[in-house]
Amino acid sequence: MAFKIASSPHVTRNMHTSTVMQRVILCLLPGLVVQCAFFGWGTLIQVLLAIIVALSCEAAVMKLRNRSIKASLSDNSAMLTAILIGVAIPPLAPWWMIVMGTVFAIVIVKHLYGGLGHNLFNPAMAAYVLLLVSFPVQMTSWIAPSTVALNTPSVIDSLQLIFNVGAHGGMDQFRLGIDGISMATPLDTLKTDLSLGLTTTESLAKSIFDGGTGVGWFWVNLAYLAGGLVLLKLKAIRWHISTGVLVGLFVASSIGFLLSPDMQASPLFHLFSGATMLAAFFIATDPVTAATSPRGRLIFGALIGVLVYIIRTQGGYPDAFAFAVLLANLCAPFIDYYVRPRTYGHSAG
Amino acid sequence: MLTLLDQLDKGTLWRSPGGIHPPEVKFLSNTTPISQLPLAQEYLVPVPQVGENCTLAVKVGDKVLKGTPLTQGTSIWHLPVHAPTSGTVVAIEPRASNHASALPVNTCVIAADGEDRWCELTPGSIELSNHEIIAKIHGAGIAGMGGAAFPSHIKLNPVSEIELVIINGVECEPYISADDRLMREYSQDILAGIGIIHRLLAPKRIVIAIEDNKPEAIKAMQQAVSHSTLPTGSTRVTVIPTKYPSGGEKQLIQIITGREVPSGSIPAKLGIVVHNVGTAFAIHQAVTQGKPLIERVVTVTGQNVGKPGNYWLPIGTPVEHVLKHTEFHAEADQKVIIGGPMMGHALPTIQVPILKGTNCILVPSSQEIGTTPEEKACIRCGECANACPALLLPQQLFWHAKAEEYDKAASYNLKDCIECGCCSYVCPSDIPLVEYYRIAKSALKQAADEKHQAERAKLRFEARIQRLEEEKLAREAKAKEAAARRQATMTSTDKNAVAEAMARIAAKKAAAAETTADNTPVEVVAADASSTEAPKGKAAVAAAIARAKAKKAAAAAQGADEAESSQQAVSSVQTASSEPSEPTEQSESLSQKDKVAAAIARAKAKKAALKADSDANGDTDIATDNTDKPATETTANAEVDDKKAKVAAAVARAKAKKAAAQQAESSEVTEVLPEHTADAKPESTNDSDDESGNKSSLDAEPSASLSPEDEKKAKVAAAVARAKAKKAAAQQAESSEVTEVLPEHTADAKPELNDESGNKSDSATDLNAPLSPEDEKKAKVAAAVARAKAKKAAAQQVESTEVAEVQPELVADAKPESTNVSGNELSSATEPSASLSPEDEKKAKVAAAVARAKAKKAAREANANSDANE
Repeated sequence: MAFKIASSPHVTRNMHTSTVMQRVILCLLPGLVVQCAFFGWGTLIQVLLAIIVALSCEAAVMKLRNRSIKASLSDNSAMLTAILIGVAIPPLAPWWMIVMGTVFAIVIVKHLYGGLGHNLFNPAMAAYVLLLVSFPVQMTSWIAPSTVALNTPSVIDSLQLIFNVGAHGGMDQFRLGIDGISMATPLDTLKTDLSLGLTTTESLAKSIFDGGTGVGWFWVNLAYLAGGLVLLKLKAIRWHISTGVLVGLFVASSIGFLLSPDMQASPLFHLFSGATMLAAFFIATDPVTAATSPRGRLIFGALIGVLVYIIRTQGGYPDAFAFAVLLANLCAPFIDYYVRPRTYGHSAG
Repeated sequence: MLTLLDQLDKGTLWRSPGGIHPPEVKFLSNTTPISQLPLAQEYLVPVPQVGENCTLAVKVGDKVLKGTPLTQGTSIWHLPVHAPTSGTVVAIEPRASNHASALPVNTCVIAADGEDRWCELTPGSIELSNHEIIAKIHGAGIAGMGGAAFPSHIKLNPVSEIELVIINGVECEPYISADDRLMREYSQDILAGIGIIHRLLAPKRIVIAIEDNKPEAIKAMQQAVSHSTLPTGSTRVTVIPTKYPSGGEKQLIQIITGREVPSGSIPAKLGIVVHNVGTAFAIHQAVTQGKPLIERVVTVTGQNVGKPGNYWLPIGTPVEHVLKHTEFHAEADQKVIIGGPMMGHALPTIQVPILKGTNCILVPSSQEIGTTPEEKACIRCGECANACPALLLPQQLFWHAKAEEYDKAASYNLKDCIECGCCSYVCPSDIPLVEYYRIAKSALKQAADEKHQAERAKLRFEARIQRLEEEKLAREAKAKEAAARRQATMTSTDKNAVAEAMARIAAKKAAAAETTADNTPVEVVAADASSTEAPKGKAAVAAAIARAKAKKAAAAAQGADEAESSQQAVSSVQTASSEPSEPTEQSESLSQKDKVAAAIARAKAKKAALKADSDANGDTDIATDNTDKPATETTANAEVDDKKAKVAAAVARAKAKKAAAQQAESSEVTEVLPEHTADAKPESTNDSDDESGNKSSLDAEPSASLSPEDEKKAKVAAAVARAKAKKAAAQQAESSEVTEVLPEHTADAKPELNDESGNKSDSATDLNAPLSPEDEKKAKVAAAVARAKAKKAAAQQVESTEVAEVQPELVADAKPESTNVSGNELSSATEPSASLSPEDEKKAKVAAAVARAKAKKAAREANANSDANE
């Protein structure tokens, strides 16, 4: 009888792309829950909307490319991209923004570059940057954390706001500073205050910071950190990039803080505000767009951390992860080319 | 700072990068002792298994005993194979190999007789010298038992100093437990083998490395070490953590010593040698008991085998036999893997033998090892780089290998890949990375081979060019030298001879020129000659003499062998060519004499003709038939003429016939016996040359006797003759063109024809010459007859040449001469006609027309024949 021929090895580890993506998504959940707790149902609605759009786009593109739709959808990569866009966007941003961003991420950034594994830029971050550059007002209008907001929108309110129907008249009534439900993020506030001549201490005394890194944001970051640690434990990601990001940001902000404590936020503030933990564990670790060798990944992560600090303190935008990640994406092939491990039996260098 | 030896004694371990922890599944097979299987009916022993340069020591039908060497060789790389059991060699033929390709290799098939009788063994003793021990190990055919099957005697005889010997009992591949069981059950024997290795290599330390998942084996080996006679402290068992592929030679060296084997080098460079525990056992068996390596422990495992375990299997046992006796049940898409799941190869067929490096047969169920999942897109996760024990970047290698950018893959140190399979194992996209690397490696190897071959071819080509150049120069130098020597040694007589030869050649050329263009000169000559009639006679005499000589020469040529005859011929030519000129200068002899001479000439001609007749055989009949007709005609025409004329005509005819017959014959003979005939001709060429020379002179004479009034007619006749000559020439040209294409060989064949026709035509002219004016008519008739014959001869020639075309080489020769011949013939024909009276012209024309018609017919026939031949 004829026997089946196969190339060795004949066994593989039971860890497939879909499993990796699934684990990343699951580890995102704690952060997502905390985010919803502080910022209302808007985030969840945005995430669900993004997932629907992303899967539709993915299926449509795979159909156009004559590939297996099922195989592509089952690898969970499109869903992950959608969730990342959903949690990054302001909870009450109008529906067309998230739709536009998701379509851009899936169709243009991912599939026009060759699909999974071939895209040069992180799709979620590219979409975020597109929206941020195109619609800066909507993209910087974060809803006020529930603990400091006077009234929190219900699910119906959120839906009506996002889909721009009903009698609320859009975002305007929520965009009322501390009195309303929408306000600038802590990072944005700090940036504005610093530019107004206030010191860090003065600025941080505002209620939004709650004496720390900002109401809600600290817990959100903490939740993402926990999820990230679980990811590391599951070996869905390796420690190099995340460590690189956090260390890079910490070192850079520490130097800045030591040089002028009055004009600079503390390293802790940088680490636990904005999208730091989300980016460090879930965005920068996207393997497709990162460097490949362990040492290269450390460099890649550190580059992101330093860039984030520079953009946060010197740039025109309050948060900087999207730009930093895209810039680091550009550098990844360069890093890969020059950072190669010393092969067994070869002398160094 | 601790030295390496201190570190070794302490059991310090270093970290090997990468690696994986696949499910071990050793419990399937490691719980039962090593057992035996019943003898197989047939054993398949591939020859040579490892190493080349050997010859078979047995032939089909030989009876062999267990342990009989099947091969013998002198090379150090030759590794003998032995009969695994007693029996008969039933075949030595290509059989499927134990390889993923199953490509057939030469295999010695031994039918077991069931007795399993050992040949005589010569146990070694402690007194053996190291050299003798190595010879014994070599003779036992011991190869590395870990899988690579590298000849052990080479590793045991290194050129450099060995400091450390590592005995590899790691057995990191999942499923396999052969070494584990061997260490548990035969630790004393392994230690004895280690003792031999220690003696041969005299290392400072021997480390027995065992993974920590084999506690029983570790214990057994530690006990054996403590009881061994080896120097205390020289040998230790080092337990290493379980991780695949720690058992790889390079990885194990790294773990034990922290050093890396330089890329492209061997461990001996570091003063380290690694031997498998199985090899140590086999060395012990070979040296102390004299047993060659004819069996080994093989793990038979997997969920689809009913009796998994370890078995002593003779080398050459068919896998099929093993599986049959271990209750193997196949399922759909069953895989049969030789080796472990990480590095083993799947077999397409199980009619293949166990080899010296075969440590496992794995027959997994589909739950254990499922079908290979479909390859998906690489997400650049970098897990492969984390798993790679060689610190490669498998992902970059993959991109380049997939894009067939093999040079770039090579720049990422593809050659340092040990194909352990860790990268494929961890790949979340199920990419068969190792397969890509294998393809890339073989492509690189092929490219390197091709490059190497191209370089060698270039060197060869350049060497050849140089050699040819040198040879050419040497030849030139030699030729120059020879020429110089000749010049130096050449006597005055030689020089004269050369000069004479040159003169002769010039004369021949002149004669040829005359014959071809004789019509114009005829008038001039005629004018000159008309002053005296006397020269005519002398000329005739001279001509007769010349003819006689020519015939003689021809006769001699027939009898004599080529070289001589050709020489003779040359000489005759010489004489002949010189003679004609003599008579013309002397003008004394009488017409009487002329007649006498003519008569003599005729007589000779007849004689020659008779000879020719007798020579002619049945083949010539047709030719004679053809010639007969014109002869009869001529006789009819010649009724009124006198007897002499008739006689002359008859003679002429006879000669013509003979000539034709000979021609036919010779051409036929030529066809049949190319070489033979070829020799015969050269002489005849000479002859014909003479003849034509003679003839032309003769021709001139008769025309000289013409009256001025006749000149006009003669001119007309000459014109006619020229026309004919042209036609003939055209025909010849045609044939000669063919000749040009065909090489040298043939050239010889025609000369004869030339002669013949030359002879014939002269004889005809001779006869005409002495005739009185009244005889002119007859002469005309004769001329007509001659022409007809000439045409026929030409036709025959054409025929023969055409025949020759079919048989290229032979024929080619035929034409050049025939050209001459026809030229001669025509000229001879033209002359007689020149002497015709006006009244006779009509008749002559008629005769000529008849002759032409016949000639044409003959030519047609000839063409037809040749067509048929073609």
